[in-house]
Amino acid sequence: MPPTGCNSGRDQIKSRIQELIDSSEVLVFSKSSCPYCVKVKDLFRELNVKYKVVELDLMDDGSGYQDMLLEMTGQKTVPNVFINKTHVGGCDKTMQAHQDGLLQQLLGGGEAYDYDLIVIGGGSGGLACSKEASLLGKKVMVLDYVVPTPKGTTWGLGGTCVNVGCIPKKLMHQTALLGTALQDARSFGWEFDENVKHNWETMKTAVNNYIGSLNWGYRVQLREKSVNYVNSFAEFVEPHKIKATNKRGKETFHTAAKFVLATGERPRYLGIPGDRELCITSDDLFSLPYCPGKTLVIGASYVALECAGFLAGLGLDVTVMVRSILLRGFDQDMANRAGEHMEAHGVTFVRKFVPTSVEELEKGTPGRLKVTAKSTESDEVFEGEYNTVLIAVGRDACTGTIGLDKVGVEVNKKNGKIPVNDEEQTNVPHIYAIGDILQGKWELTPVAIQAGKLLARRLFGGATLKCDYVNVPTTVFTPLEYGCCGLSEEKALEMYGQDNIEVYHSLFWPLEFTVPGRDNNRCYAKIICNKLDSDRVVGFHYLGPNAGEVTQGYGAAMKCGMTKEQLSGTIGIHPTCAEIYTTMEVTKSSGGDITQAGC
Amino acid sequence: MAYRLIVRRIWNAPVKDIRCPRLCASSASLFSRAPSPPVSVTSRRNVSFSVQDQEDFTERVINSNLPVLVDFHAHWCGPCKILGPRLEKAVAKQQGRVAMAKVDIDEHTDLAIEYGVSAVPTVIAMRGGDVIDQFVGIKDEEQLDSFVGKLIEQ
Ligand SMILES: Cc1cc2nc3c(=O)[nH]c(=O)nc-3n(C[C@H](O)[C@H](O)[C@H](O)COP(=O)(O)OP(=O)(O)OC[C@H]3O[C@@H](n4cnc5c(N)ncnc54)[C@H](O)[C@@H]3O)c2cc1C
Repeated sequence: MPPTGCNSGRDQIKSRIQELIDSSEVLVFSKSSCPYCVKVKDLFRELNVKYKVVELDLMDDGSGYQDMLLEMTGQKTVPNVFINKTHVGGCDKTMQAHQDGLLQQLLGGGEAYDYDLIVIGGGSGGLACSKEASLLGKKVMVLDYVVPTPKGTTWGLGGTCVNVGCIPKKLMHQTALLGTALQDARSFGWEFDENVKHNWETMKTAVNNYIGSLNWGYRVQLREKSVNYVNSFAEFVEPHKIKATNKRGKETFHTAAKFVLATGERPRYLGIPGDRELCITSDDLFSLPYCPGKTLVIGASYVALECAGFLAGLGLDVTVMVRSILLRGFDQDMANRAGEHMEAHGVTFVRKFVPTSVEELEKGTPGRLKVTAKSTESDEVFEGEYNTVLIAVGRDACTGTIGLDKVGVEVNKKNGKIPVNDEEQTNVPHIYAIGDILQGKWELTPVAIQAGKLLARRLFGGATLKCDYVNVPTTVFTPLEYGCCGLSEEKALEMYGQDNIEVYHSLFWPLEFTVPGRDNNRCYAKIICNKLDSDRVVGFHYLGPNAGEVTQGYGAAMKCGMTKEQLSGTIGIHPTCAEIYTTMEVTKSSGGDITQAGC
Repeated sequence: MAYRLIVRRIWNAPVKDIRCPRLCASSASLFSRAPSPPVSVTSRRNVSFSVQDQEDFTERVINSNLPVLVDFHAHWCGPCKILGPRLEKAVAKQQGRVAMAKVDIDEHTDLAIEYGVSAVPTVIAMRGGDVIDQFVGIKDEEQLDSFVGKLIEQ
């Protein structure tokens, strides 16, 4: 209880303060010597806003004012800022409000934004972020719109992963694995007709039906979480305002205090005659109404190798045209081993060639195309005939047509990617970005989801946890799968130097492969240890079946700082592929034999 | 997550029953997008119809004099393709005492969202614009007969 007795004085101060609050647009209770107060005053001067200052240290009853302010606002310190009768707070709060746009909103006579948050892009990252923000009580809109491919393919809510990425890719990879299993089955005594066929349409329909159910599931989740979903293309028209254009060209406008960009990427074309008109990309492949037939895959990205791998696994004649290396950015030893396995299983590689034109020889489903390519090293010209040409030479960030220039968001001119700080904030403070469009970050669904969720919690839930982009496990679903976590050997060498790393490696033969007698000494395990840091495992690499399942667990161990000693102290599960890591003794530098025989 | 489990349970289990691809193919045509709204004369005679839009729904379902079964379905949903024809049969048995409206949830998302459809098939029974009964998932003919029967008795 505050002391009684001087109530009339207190009441006087209170009404004087209230009068000040009511009569000033911007009011700063300050002390003339306080640097934070100076900072706030500077801000308002910069913003060209008229403000009234009450310097508490220069007046007689300053401390009485300060006590009353504590009572009225719960804040004792200065500066204590009010804008249009709203208590903003101290220096940090004022600066934050300036960043968020709240300040401008209050200054503008308190005109409120339509939303607390607008998320542009309803893919992995955007959906996660918008749902989380809504859970935290915010008013959220998410816009998702799929621009059709040049072939006219389009899809539902959920972004790349669900519709034209992870999900259909893995299901079609599984289709191919089943083909291999069918072949193996005979060795295990299964007897069935010689004539085994695959029906593309059945697979395509089943996969797309599942995707349809996922699309609906996302739709329902957004409703349940009260996120306002709009199926429109969004672009900025003002710093806090977007224009949304729907399928029929109808435009609406929406404002928000904060924005999250999560527009993802789309396949890049080659810019050669015939590419857009005649070729397809992964955006078309998974819902292709007909079997693609003899296929040329252009590129050696993971998308290229995965697609080539499952198409070959369905029994199609597949060629991969590679400009330089396989799986750029991945460990090259591993990448080449994955490629060699594909080659051994009938995929043709045309190396060091780039296509120059694609011509139509015959229309059809599929038709016939002629591809001309030139060598990157000589004058040699390559010509080939294919039913389908699939371009998978990389993906471009969808950041060019969303009005970022209008609001001053910095974009890497070379690749359209958006640089952000470690809190996913762009150079424009109230605009954030997550997922595939980030510069120098992973292009993976779980990363986009994690970043989106944590961002929402930091923005609206008072959390501080940031997304950790280090030691992210991932898997390339080539026919022989490649899982990894941490550094490639090249990167480790570059970071620590040859003398400071030790590489343990081993070939292995999965038990399941022994009876059918296939792929001996193709599966390969490798770890890279930092000798300067207790042999901590800084790189984990696995080429073999179920790579995702194997790598996930070791990824968790690496997050806990797993060392070689701890790994060797772990008891393996027998008989598995993953157990190989608990018994790795041969170092690469020793040149010792790594071929495996028996248990 | 919980939601997903529900969907799976509802439409994965019965999917196993679809051994014969012809069944899907023939019943699929039932759900193919109707090219244009049927003229009102036929619509009055037809007890089963595909909802064209919100207005059509208001006119033929909410303002209907008959009780109406609304079959929320999707082209990607296997069990819907089994349930649809069964429902039509159960409704036909009532000889015009009950109507059936088919709503493709992907084409008429707003309607489906409005009626709280989170998994398909969802069937709701409406009378005088009110939802008086509903079920989610698949039912056999006998169960459907009694569901429809109850609707008429009420
Ligand atoms: C073939 C393939 C296979 C893949 N396999 C895997 C895998 O196995 N594992 C894995 O982790 N990752 C995989 N990925 C990567 C994964 O799909 C992406 O990392 C992930 O989808 C990125 O999420 P995002 O939220 O950044 O963008 P996206 O999921 O791409 O979503 C962006 C959404 O925004 C929409 N949009 C864009 N611009 C606008 C606009 N102006 N207005 C409204 N909406 C807009 C887009 O249409 C899209 O729906 C694969 C990708 C491909 C292409």
